[in-house]
Amino acid sequence: MKYKIGLEIHTQLTEAGTKLFCGCDSNYRKYKPNTNVCPVCLGLPGALPVPRKQPIILALAVAETFNCRIPESMVFTRKHYFYPDLLKNYQITQYEKGGGMPVCLGGTLKYYDPDLDLWKKVKLRRMNIEEDPGKTEYSEGNILASEFAYVDYNRSGVPLLEVVTEPEIPTPRDARKAVEYLLLTMEYVGAMNPRLEGSFRVDANISVEGGERIEVKNIGSTLDLERALRYEIFRQRKIVEGKGVVERETRHWDPVRGITKSLRSKESEEEYLYFPDPDIPMISTEPLLKEVRKRNITTPEKIMERVSRLGVNRRTAWSLVTIKACAETFLEAVSIGADPIISSRILAIDYKGHLRKSGMNLYKRKNWPDPIVLKKISDLIRNKVYTYDEIKYNIIPKLVNDPKMIHITLPEKASPEKLITEVMNEERKAVWDFYQGKKEALDYLVGKVLKKAYGKAMDPKKVRKLLEESLYKSSNIY
Amino acid sequence: MKLTASSIRDEIIKGNMDIEDYILGKLELIRKNDKKINAFISIDSEGFLRERARNIKMGIRSGKKPMLAGIAISIKDVISTSFLPTTAGSKILEGYIPPFNATVVEKILKEGGIVIGKTNLDEFAMGSTTEFSAYGPTRNPWDLERVAGGSSGGSAASLSYGAADLSLGSDTGGSARLPASYTCTFGLKPTYGLVSRYGLIPYANSLEQISPMARSMEDLALLLKVIKGYDEKDATSIPRAEEKSYEKFKVCVIEDLVRDSDRPIKSSLYNLLYKLELEGIETEYRERLDYINYALPVYYTIAFAEASSNLARYDGKLYGKMGNSETYKKASIDTRKSNLGLEVRKRILMGVLTLSEGFKNEYYIAATKGRRLIRDEILKVTKDCILVSPVSPILPPRIGEKIDDPLKLYAMDVYTVIANLAGIPALALPSSFYNGLPIGVQFMGKPFSESSLIRLGLIIEKITGISGVIAGG
Repeated sequence: MKYKIGLEIHTQLTEAGTKLFCGCDSNYRKYKPNTNVCPVCLGLPGALPVPRKQPIILALAVAETFNCRIPESMVFTRKHYFYPDLLKNYQITQYEKGGGMPVCLGGTLKYYDPDLDLWKKVKLRRMNIEEDPGKTEYSEGNILASEFAYVDYNRSGVPLLEVVTEPEIPTPRDARKAVEYLLLTMEYVGAMNPRLEGSFRVDANISVEGGERIEVKNIGSTLDLERALRYEIFRQRKIVEGKGVVERETRHWDPVRGITKSLRSKESEEEYLYFPDPDIPMISTEPLLKEVRKRNITTPEKIMERVSRLGVNRRTAWSLVTIKACAETFLEAVSIGADPIISSRILAIDYKGHLRKSGMNLYKRKNWPDPIVLKKISDLIRNKVYTYDEIKYNIIPKLVNDPKMIHITLPEKASPEKLITEVMNEERKAVWDFYQGKKEALDYLVGKVLKKAYGKAMDPKKVRKLLEESLYKSSNIY
Repeated sequence: MKLTASSIRDEIIKGNMDIEDYILGKLELIRKNDKKINAFISIDSEGFLRERARNIKMGIRSGKKPMLAGIAISIKDVISTSFLPTTAGSKILEGYIPPFNATVVEKILKEGGIVIGKTNLDEFAMGSTTEFSAYGPTRNPWDLERVAGGSSGGSAASLSYGAADLSLGSDTGGSARLPASYTCTFGLKPTYGLVSRYGLIPYANSLEQISPMARSMEDLALLLKVIKGYDEKDATSIPRAEEKSYEKFKVCVIEDLVRDSDRPIKSSLYNLLYKLELEGIETEYRERLDYINYALPVYYTIAFAEASSNLARYDGKLYGKMGNSETYKKASIDTRKSNLGLEVRKRILMGVLTLSEGFKNEYYIAATKGRRLIRDEILKVTKDCILVSPVSPILPPRIGEKIDDPLKLYAMDVYTVIANLAGIPALALPSSFYNGLPIGVQFMGKPFSESSLIRLGLIIEKITGISGVIAGG
């Protein structure tokens, strides 16, 4: 049974610095409730919205990145609905009808599928800039059990970029990959930090052949997006197979229980009384686009190409690209002469693994090594002063805790032969086990040798090789 | 007695007049007369006014010469003040004190003006008689049985009985000019974008401008000079607006813009034109304009649509007390029903209708197209010619006379809405009296031709001799 998926992705331009129409902070999370507000974002009578440059520049940069058709000028529109978190009872947004004009009229979201090593495409219908409403919180956490609702307007007026795709995404997994790629791109553009709580929300439209279109709202993560879509396809298929009718409705995703619940049936289009906001003159895009183009915007795709051209394999390259701080470190190190293959392996595999294990933030540039240090280390390996593994075991764990390491001190090289003899004398039982065919005894012995070498540089592969040789040499004794 | 703000200001600067005495005199006048006239919704406290007067006095002693030194100014209660409640004439904003001043208020304070009180108006400026105020109607100081016009009726009345010597009104479709003509005062609706709207509680954003009001041409020009200019807080205000004055005056009369007026109004206008010709000012008579008959429906359609949106926010969340109801929606509806007046609710409903799917093309969209045609036509005519017309087709009606017939009420605005639709400046000033009732005349120029309108106004003031007149004075 065929199905169609289309997405509306609401992304906050968290890095804009200001709200869309006033000077309040776009990063509202650090404030006490209702302190990041002013007459404009509170919609006080007589206060007027004045479009801020930075959010609009960022939105245009994103639109440029996805090859959007950008109109000569854009027009903000009022969309009316009565709701507690919307102080004016209308949202200032963009709409292509009734005299309005959005920032983007159709583009292409090209996204990377790392498993298939393939670039895929989904057509974009439009993008529009709009203001985020405030936030309602309930005294008991949910609307039914609560006596009180509290509204916090710190978020009111934060710039959002809504990205609407055509209903042509082939699978729930593709939906997830496409959104992840969109968010990554917006991070590269400098428009948003997708890891901030609530920085994006997805509404998904899905229709299974033989049924009407269902809209699922309130999806707050890309993992939930995939889960919600899988659930909906399953649910709608069951209905169609049972000769039931899938009627047009809006459903709500419950991430805790992993199901969707009916919110309201959508018999007809809602009445939003759209009309152009008379407080905001139309905005010419051309002069702003000139500024955007001056900024030399990078995208994950461009970085991926650059990294691949340096000879790094696609898998490692993608692993670098998915973390902007990591990719930046890599490119800087390479630009001052670090070996690309060695550096990419250190960063994308071993260093990243250590960062993860120690629970550190992968997305903070200061948690990644100083490019100069990285260059020195990669030189040591390239010039065969040390082997990769010697660096991996002796330097990288320390580097994670001191990414600006000034003295790259490798311990003196210990001679493994002496230690091997010692271990073989002390661990007769294990040696015996080895001769009995227990291969894991070798791992145990290698471990013992490395333990004895504690604090000194020693290449475990070399130890293993030497140990094996010694064991075979001594086999005639046993 | 001739009493103008400019002459008072000069006496104050020279030290011939004490600001404190002057302001307390105003307060006394208000206490004595405002019960019957009802020009004010709120009046500043004596203590506050004394302190302000003393501060300005000290400034003058130290050599400052502020443009409005000590002048008592009344401000329409739809313009935000952080030191006095701002109600917009509505119950739903009762007791609301904005946390900020409108830009024009800041400018007035900076130039040493003294805001004596906030004046009455039709609720949210929706009306032409100030009878739709939640705080009772304002009476015309020239005849207490008659209205003072609207919606800036309180501002006009406060000037005409001398309670204030300058006033700020707002003009969405004639709201400053119509009351000016009913009270023998002067009102100027500036070019759209010349004066910041920041802090003006909106009725119809694309049409309205804060407008100076006064008892003489000189005073009007003085107040305009203080309040005009680009404001980064208003995206529709125009940066670096250049004056575009006429090289020589030509006044055009269009028969369509006179024909339906009452006889005293018509003869007052033609009489004035005759005198203008004697002064050597060229006048030209034209039969008609193509789109002018659509002005009234186009105006009201756009105004109501914008109003329905602007007033959506008054739902009990921040303004008005939200009662307990089963649902949030019902609570909002109840708050709106019990706190917004009938006329306001009527206009909201009509506005919603004109924006609804299925009606939008016939009403709102059609009106915006009509507006463009009217604007283009008016811009073409005013390029080399100042349009003249009556301000109102009738003399000030009696209180209660027009309120029951909405179509007649709306028709009072037929000559004034044109300037708002086209965004051009329009000046209303007294032309004569008829049976003791003031009659006004209107001049409309091309965008940013305010200086020409003021020059013409000064000529007319000299012809009529009506300047600085106080009712009963």
